[in-house]
Amino acid sequence: MKKAILLLILLYIFLNFPCLASGDVSVTLKLDRPEATLLDSITMVVSVSGTRKSDTQPTIKGLEAFNVRTGGTSSRIEIINGKVNAGVDYTYALQPKKTGTFTIGPAEVKVKGKTIKSNAETLTIVKSIQSPDVDRGPLFLSAALSPKQIFVEEQAIYTLKLFRQTRVGDISLGLPEAEHLTLKQLGKPVEYQSVYNGQSYQVLEVRYALISSREGIYGIRPSRMSMTVFQSRRKSSRSLFDDPFFSFSSGKPVTIASEPLELNVLPLPQKGRPTGFSGLVGNYKIKSHLEPSKIRAGESATMTVLLSGRGNIKRIPDLKLPELEKIKVYADQPVLMEETDSKGLAGSKTMKWALVPEKEGEYQIPSLSISFFDTTGKQYRVIKSPVLSLSVLPVEKAHVSVSQDVLKGHKTGGPGKQEVKELGHDILPVHTSIKDLHSGTRSGIGGLVFWLILIIPLFAYASTFLIQKFYRKTTVSVAAARARKAAKALTQQCRKGKLSSNDLTSSIRRYLNERFDLSLGSLTPDEAVDIVLSRGVKATTAERLRTALQELEDAIYTGKGQETCDMGGDIPKLIKQIEKEIR
Amino acid sequence: MRRYICLTITIFTMVFLPGLDAEAQTNGWEDLFFRANQAFKEGHYQDAIDGYEQLAQTGHENGHIYYNLGNGYFRLNQLGQAILNYERARILIPRDADLNFNLRHARDQIQDVIAEPQGFIQMAFFWLDSLSLREVFWGFGILNVLFWSILLIRLFHRSEWNYYLSLVFLVLWLIGGTSFGLKWYQVWTDGRAVILEKEVNILAGPDIEDTVLFKLHEGTIVHHERSEDGWFLIRLPDKKRGWVEAETVEQIKRDPMALPGGSHN
Repeated sequence: MKKAILLLILLYIFLNFPCLASGDVSVTLKLDRPEATLLDSITMVVSVSGTRKSDTQPTIKGLEAFNVRTGGTSSRIEIINGKVNAGVDYTYALQPKKTGTFTIGPAEVKVKGKTIKSNAETLTIVKSIQSPDVDRGPLFLSAALSPKQIFVEEQAIYTLKLFRQTRVGDISLGLPEAEHLTLKQLGKPVEYQSVYNGQSYQVLEVRYALISSREGIYGIRPSRMSMTVFQSRRKSSRSLFDDPFFSFSSGKPVTIASEPLELNVLPLPQKGRPTGFSGLVGNYKIKSHLEPSKIRAGESATMTVLLSGRGNIKRIPDLKLPELEKIKVYADQPVLMEETDSKGLAGSKTMKWALVPEKEGEYQIPSLSISFFDTTGKQYRVIKSPVLSLSVLPVEKAHVSVSQDVLKGHKTGGPGKQEVKELGHDILPVHTSIKDLHSGTRSGIGGLVFWLILIIPLFAYASTFLIQKFYRKTTVSVAAARARKAAKALTQQCRKGKLSSNDLTSSIRRYLNERFDLSLGSLTPDEAVDIVLSRGVKATTAERLRTALQELEDAIYTGKGQETCDMGGDIPKLIKQIEKEIR
Repeated sequence: MRRYICLTITIFTMVFLPGLDAEAQTNGWEDLFFRANQAFKEGHYQDAIDGYEQLAQTGHENGHIYYNLGNGYFRLNQLGQAILNYERARILIPRDADLNFNLRHARDQIQDVIAEPQGFIQMAFFWLDSLSLREVFWGFGILNVLFWSILLIRLFHRSEWNYYLSLVFLVLWLIGGTSFGLKWYQVWTDGRAVILEKEVNILAGPDIEDTVLFKLHEGTIVHHERSEDGWFLIRLPDKKRGWVEAETVEQIKRDPMALPGGSHN
């Protein structure tokens, strides 16, 4: 229970602690599609990132021509690579009031008293395509092409819309195929509500960029969409299960087709075609910069040219920087970035050169130009990068050599960040500290200390082991010798014969004391028996010893202690047996 | 009384004079080291090299001296000699950051592309490459003392903790011992040699008239197999073999017998 409470507290702190969601606050405005009809609803999302709370609701400009309905607010926390990013999304449904092209946004949000603006988006509202005479039923597929006349390599937008009033699943799409025509999907399919012929439909829209590589009139065959249609089937009589939750539906496979279309592809005009035209069609711009613009001779500066735009960006050629006097030029691998959005194909190509001037002076880096066919103005255009200036100061260091490998491959790693560039390469200086002379030597290996460290521990262990073993052996042998001596002394006394009970008792006690290294003085028979039993002598032998000692004691206590005892012959046998049985 | 004074003077002379002499010698080679450093700083690289060479040849074999020698040769555009001395320094100070940086830079400028394959031993005992023989020895020495000490304790006091500790130290002692043995073998049987000329012909036999098998360039590291009449039989990691004139190549292991002009194996 305690753990659960702790967990809840931690979760509460985690969700409410503003630091966890700290970061740069940014606002983005997104529309689900750039074009819609008067009867469609458009979803607009204003995303605030970097905070989970804004002071006010977003204020959005350019919504005068729309009925706006709020679709709720949702907050989010993402943990990506250990970095916590939080945000809040405001969703709106827009219902257009009139046709035209509108700029939606920017959205303004106040966070901690600071107003943050978003981007703006363009939305085109067209008249709805209505066919009042034709009822197309609860499920149909519609295709549209915009524009219907394009130039070679220009992109047209092919839009497919699935209008449905029933629940469908397992949708698969078969797109029309034609020679010299290429279709490329633009973004994810979007879903929205629309009205067609006075009936409300759920619409699934998917857009494609259609590009033709050759002129001509192309008939675009219908697209085919296969799916399973689920039809609701309720029981006729009301019952306990007469509830939408318990309604049963059955699936039916259905294939529907869109209408065929026609595309007129015009050839690119010959008039005004620049020499060396690469076939680039669309709308492009060029940017260039030199960083740094002031360096020393032998160092390197990076010239970056960025070509970006909308169109067949794969056709952007690799620009070549002309040979420059007294400047070595190392070209980097160009980087092509291709992206798609609902308006079509777009992207950029970044080209970089490392410039290494050999001598000081002021250098002019000539402009680079590229030609393309502008689909908006329907004419060829040539765009040029500006002429760049490079100031080169005299060389500072005597020994600078530049490796070509080093100059290659430096890429930017994020906004405002750049990988550390190696401008030159040289060896590091000599070691001059006197301390260095006392380290990094081979001394000690093979010397006396070396052998001592290897051998002394082993020697110490071995000698201790041997001494311990010898000591143990000596202790055992001393005890054995003492035992032998005591037994021998008693046997010899017994063999002398004519021993009195007193003498025999004293001899046995002496034997026991010496044999077992005791200092007990006089021993009772019971004590003597306990001792021999504890040393492993059998009970019968111990009992014999008890009997013998008791007989001797009886003789002493009855006044016959000084008389000659007749046990002198049995005692040595008994002692021999005891010696035999002792462990 | 006079006898005591004489005895005191004799003892003082015996005890302190060798020390004074040693100190004078130390000052001598320290001076030489500073002079060589100064010469390097002033751009007199040949003088600096002479100073460092003198230090190395008078028994002051030291990783930092070899490093400085490498720098001097690099400045004189003698890439082969530079790499040779950097490699000698690497045996003694393998983890020195300056050395590794300079060696990498020097290797970048070698013309021949020769990949050194990694064997099982190099992979299993990966730490050997970044430790000097002296460091491996001291590591093993400490383990040796600890291992035998715990066994010694067990002679007098046997308990569970010292039983497991002795097992742990046994494993460490075996690893340390094997490492030391391998490093010792690696250092004392190091057959690597460096090409010192800008370009050398590798021939099929130890004769100038023999067929040229391939060419190698300054700074390339080869393996010396044996010597014969002023010729070295060398081998590359890709098993290419051939003969090269002894004066165009020098072994990294500083052994007078293996130096150019030394006696032959």
